[in-house]
Amino acid sequence: MRFIPIFLIIISFSSFSQVRPENGMKEHQPKLIAYTNATIMVSPTKVIKNGTLLVEDDKIKAVGSLIFTPKEALVIDCEQQFIIPSFIEINAHLIANNPHKTNKRGPQLETSKQGPYYWNEAIHPETDGLDQYIPNEGDEKKYVDMGFGWALSHLENGIARGTGPLIALGNIPTDRKVVDGFAANFYSFDKGSSKQSYPSSQMGSIALLRQFFYDLAYYQSNKNQPFSASFHHSINQLQKSNFFFSKDKYDVQRISKISNEFKIPFIVIGTGNEYQAMNDFKKDQTALVIPINFPKNYALNDPYLMDQIALRDLKHWELAPSNPYFLSTKRIPFSITSEGITNAKDFWKNIRLIMERGLSQEQVLNALTLQAAKFLKKDSLMGTLEEGKLASFHVYDGNPFLGDARVIGISSLGKWEQKSMVNTESYLGVYDVQLKQQKYQLEISGTNDKPNGKIYLKNTPDSAKVNVQIQVKEKDITFQFAMKDENLNGLISLHAKMNMKFGALEGDGKDGQGNWFTWSGVKREKNNEGSNVAAIKLDSAYSDKIWFPNMAYGSLSRKQAENVIIKNATVWTNENEGVLKDATVIVKNGKISFVGTSNYVIPNDAKVIDAKGKHLTSGIIDEHSHIALTNGVNEGGQAISAEVNIGDVLYSDDINIYRQLAGGVTSSQLLHGSANPIGGQSALIKLKWGVSPDALLIPNAPKFIKFALGENVKQSNWGDDDRVRFPQTRMGVEQLYMDAFSRAKAYKEKQKQAQLGKGITPPRDLELDILVEILNHQRNITCHSYVQSEINMLMHVADTFGIKINTFTHILEGYKLADKMQKHGAAGSTFADWWAYKYEVNDAIPYNAKIMHDQGVLVSINSDDAEMGRRLNQEAAKTVKYGGMSEVEAWKLVTLNPAKMLHLDDRMGSIKAGKDADLVLWDQNPLSVYAKVQFTLVDGVVEYDIHQDQILHKQISLEKARIIEKMMHLNQKGAETTNYKPKRKRHFHCDTIGEEGSLDANTH
Amino acid sequence: MLAQDKILFTHGYLHVGNGETIASASIGIEKGKIVLLKNSLAHTFDPKEWDTVIHLNGQHVYPGFIAPNSTLGLTEIDAVRATNDFHEVGTFNPQIRSQIAYNVESNVISTVKTNGVLFCQPTPRGGIISGTSSIMACDGWNWEDATIFKDDGIHVNWPSSYFISEQKEEREEAYRLKVNELKQFFQEAKNYERTHGTNNLRFDAMRSCFKGEKRVYFHANLIQELLDIIDFSQQLELAHPVIIGGDEAIPIANRLKDAKIPLMLNRIHNLPHTEDGAIHENFTLPFYLQQKGILFCLQNEGDMEAMQARNLPFLAGSAQAYGLSEEEAISSITLNTAKIMGIDQQYGSIEIGKDASLFVSKGNALDMRTNQVSLALIHGKFISLKNHQTELFLKYSKKYESQKK
Repeated sequence: MRFIPIFLIIISFSSFSQVRPENGMKEHQPKLIAYTNATIMVSPTKVIKNGTLLVEDDKIKAVGSLIFTPKEALVIDCEQQFIIPSFIEINAHLIANNPHKTNKRGPQLETSKQGPYYWNEAIHPETDGLDQYIPNEGDEKKYVDMGFGWALSHLENGIARGTGPLIALGNIPTDRKVVDGFAANFYSFDKGSSKQSYPSSQMGSIALLRQFFYDLAYYQSNKNQPFSASFHHSINQLQKSNFFFSKDKYDVQRISKISNEFKIPFIVIGTGNEYQAMNDFKKDQTALVIPINFPKNYALNDPYLMDQIALRDLKHWELAPSNPYFLSTKRIPFSITSEGITNAKDFWKNIRLIMERGLSQEQVLNALTLQAAKFLKKDSLMGTLEEGKLASFHVYDGNPFLGDARVIGISSLGKWEQKSMVNTESYLGVYDVQLKQQKYQLEISGTNDKPNGKIYLKNTPDSAKVNVQIQVKEKDITFQFAMKDENLNGLISLHAKMNMKFGALEGDGKDGQGNWFTWSGVKREKNNEGSNVAAIKLDSAYSDKIWFPNMAYGSLSRKQAENVIIKNATVWTNENEGVLKDATVIVKNGKISFVGTSNYVIPNDAKVIDAKGKHLTSGIIDEHSHIALTNGVNEGGQAISAEVNIGDVLYSDDINIYRQLAGGVTSSQLLHGSANPIGGQSALIKLKWGVSPDALLIPNAPKFIKFALGENVKQSNWGDDDRVRFPQTRMGVEQLYMDAFSRAKAYKEKQKQAQLGKGITPPRDLELDILVEILNHQRNITCHSYVQSEINMLMHVADTFGIKINTFTHILEGYKLADKMQKHGAAGSTFADWWAYKYEVNDAIPYNAKIMHDQGVLVSINSDDAEMGRRLNQEAAKTVKYGGMSEVEAWKLVTLNPAKMLHLDDRMGSIKAGKDADLVLWDQNPLSVYAKVQFTLVDGVVEYDIHQDQILHKQISLEKARIIEKMMHLNQKGAETTNYKPKRKRHFHCDTIGEEGSLDANTH
Repeated sequence: MLAQDKILFTHGYLHVGNGETIASASIGIEKGKIVLLKNSLAHTFDPKEWDTVIHLNGQHVYPGFIAPNSTLGLTEIDAVRATNDFHEVGTFNPQIRSQIAYNVESNVISTVKTNGVLFCQPTPRGGIISGTSSIMACDGWNWEDATIFKDDGIHVNWPSSYFISEQKEEREEAYRLKVNELKQFFQEAKNYERTHGTNNLRFDAMRSCFKGEKRVYFHANLIQELLDIIDFSQQLELAHPVIIGGDEAIPIANRLKDAKIPLMLNRIHNLPHTEDGAIHENFTLPFYLQQKGILFCLQNEGDMEAMQARNLPFLAGSAQAYGLSEEEAISSITLNTAKIMGIDQQYGSIEIGKDASLFVSKGNALDMRTNQVSLALIHGKFISLKNHQTELFLKYSKKYESQKK
């Protein structure tokens, strides 16, 4: 007879140093447990069949196929069962987050947290998640059911969130549950429940966190600092793992930059769309924790709503399950989190889905165990079932990676808990049974859980077979059926004990007359092993479905620069040559190599374009734009936010990039908004479609920063609650600048003295660093401005500090003091005809550009608007109408002049040999309302082409139809669906506050 | 303002407004009406018969452009609340009348007429029934004498069928309930009209929506809404339903045509409605509707709409760039608009017997590159082309000129 343990075993923890007093007699606990005859997935790469796992106390003593089982060991027979190391959940939610709520109205400018803490409420590394942890079996259950044995949890609030404990799941004494109380540090870009005004944007969060790390380093290296609990905790935690929450694929790179700057290896907790950006991940610098909660199918019953589903959502729906596989092909280390999944069934369904998409069992197991353990720096304790490691594992009745399997039991730190009492051996098959005088055949089909039975005499036709009701409880099986033949008559009930080792059933039965009899059955042939195992069907042909960007107007690969000859064009050179008729322009290796009407040499493989009757210009440059950004354009939380950088939050999937290329725009200055007097650093970009955010940036571009004056910075139109932040008047604005630059000057002086060995280096201040760059003429100012008083004022402030205002943007009253601007050397970037949207534009006139131009001011026309940005040629034309600008000069307002303002005119802004091949071909005079862009080249790459656009648009419908058909097919097969939620377009304007784009009107 | 009794323009390139042109036209005006239209090359006249004769030398003559559905005249400065007069409290406000709040001296209006826009339809905003618009001239001594068509129509903001919630069914139900509420309101108004009811200002304001000249302007964009408006208009037997918006009109264009419901299109200088939308979908919509034979006109509601009214001609220019003929584009801001609003007997084209409100531009008025309004008349009277902005231009030009000396 075989020994089958069906009772619970309680084990002690003899390794625990301080013995907790017990109430009553000491419990009996086996010191050794041997799990025998199992398939043991010792590690991702090592599987032992028919092996033994020997556990002593809470650790694995031995594992292998030739392990001697000590006599004193409790033996648990795991025949046909699978032992798998318990998984590690890095993003578990086992700690309640009850943020403190206030009903205070109006902005909160300073921290409300009293004590020796960092000055910003969103930075609280001193937070101890363990302190808030209350063990709760109910919360743990979902993780345990899925196969997890370890959970890292933390207080999910703020930017620097503090530490969290690593918890051992399962039924173990609470004083043993925490493996490491301070297992890891957590960070995010989300300020959480902090009501403090700053930061109000993602770029603000980035700057704040960077400042914190600089402050931390200073605290660490300067011993006589006042005590700070925030720094103190951080220093103690430096050696632990650091996890950083992302909200989008592009956050991975943002986090990576902080990682590199401070040499802190962040592990990014991902969102599931990382495959769309993975080409830019550096494999030895990127580590991810990725979810496998994929988008649900959309309900497709309404043809109209079906039309509303954005292609990007359909494409992500299709590709999301391939995310883990794609990342594996790039050799990016990742672990898997169950984030967003509520039950074990869905978890395993999705595990098998990612395997269908190409991930091997080894890779999945690695992601769930060893990789996560390595991330936690706990791989000496967990992650595999090797000798010496903690004995936490799940036992399944089959291989769960291949098909539905049931958890038979769990070892939690060596403590065995049986979870399921069901027979794990398959008893399906055909049995020869002897009932009374007659031999029958008993056929058991279906599954172990839901067996179907039939009983019949040999050679009976199917129709005459008698149905049998079967009930199974562990090794006990009962059969009931009605039989009417010479041998049996009436309702027959049979009971048996199963012995599957010999394929035998043996027991007693009762016939229709109530008489007991004994019976037995023998399995005819051994049933095919593990009938619940369906081989995973590999379906990995998705890599050619990723578009760049993965949405409408995307394409399968990034376009390459072409060598092009544009012949017979009317060429607006913006140079002394003026407008050339029937001229030729040659583009070679992304640069203009020839312009003129003389003879030229044709480069190899050049594409020849006959542009007869068409006009070729240099690309439009938008001096003032807010497209291609994410999570906030304004850091309005403070009056000065020089530390924030628009370049940190570029978003290259913005459809407005493509739309503006269709309007001939090739470069833009992406400016911080105008919510505060000193805003953030600009990003100078080229418009490129299907590239990474960083690839938008113009290499070695001059540095710029946004300043702002007037109603926006004094919060005139913000309502009555916002009357607190300094300044609230133009008078205050002047003094704010005076103060800021005075502080910067003093900071600079201190730095200088320290370099000379006099005094100590001041702590690094990211805000003052930028202001010092301005004082050092290393960074240019673009200032949002409207009325003459403030414009005049700022030029005086600049003069006081020996600096120059590079550009006044908007500058609608520039015409009133164009002479002063000219003298100061300030350029003016204005609107063609906007006015009447707020009081300070009451004297705005459309003749502004013309008057400033005539007074020798460098003038451009900008958009500050995603829509108008694609019609800047028309806006330039308005200066011909209002004031009579010449067409040649009018055209420069949106090309050469902004290039000069941005100090990029050495490489763009005109058609000249050696400059960047940023070119636009128009079907007629580009200043006409009728002019249409034929194609736009950026660095010699065709980024937009009017004919290609038709093809791309058609492709959108085809791709949508393809995916919808696929989805519909699955829906008909009963897939769970959700209603699609159409997204409204949102845009960032100058005055948009917060991280979401605005649906409101633009008030600039 | 100069008042001439008899004015003759000769040698103008006339854009009639109805699709026709006369390359060298003579246009005679008497007592505010067009009294003569001839080919200048074949027309001889006695200068003594005319108080004023102007040789236009090939300049373009257009009927005054009409800016429908606008807050022009109801606001001066968007962000200054005291200057805003277009949004009244209440949900069903047909009795609220824009006519009396129309500021004919608005500095904004004076910058609009200088681009050829000579009429507008100041329109209340907000609520479900925002109020009643009137059609006004962009020049006059007061709102009374600026009025072209008093109380021309009520404006209904059709409930949004946009499903912002994942609980689509709930959302749909909320939409149906709102539509039903609106329907009941109209039904009651109709009963009131039939039974000659009295003492209800709201329903009084709606009387002539059923029988009469008053338009019902439905502001709506989505297919579901447009389909429901067709039903609604038929059920309630509205005399003149009009849709303002109609972003998603294309799939149901035939239904709109059959129902004879005209469209005032959303500002076509807008971004596509969805990320997946065709890059130029707004620009090509007028051409599509023209091909379909659906009556439509352009309007400019949206960001800074009062100030932007002066760019209405360039919306027509864009519509031309993407398919319309030049004269069709002109009709889309003149005669089509007048037809939709019910003033085409007098306005919208330069034809004998019609009101003499027209302007002359040195170049093509639909293109910002060439739009140069040299003179304009409303009701046969020359209007001033000076405004706040031209004055400041002069003032500061002089400043710099004097500095040169």
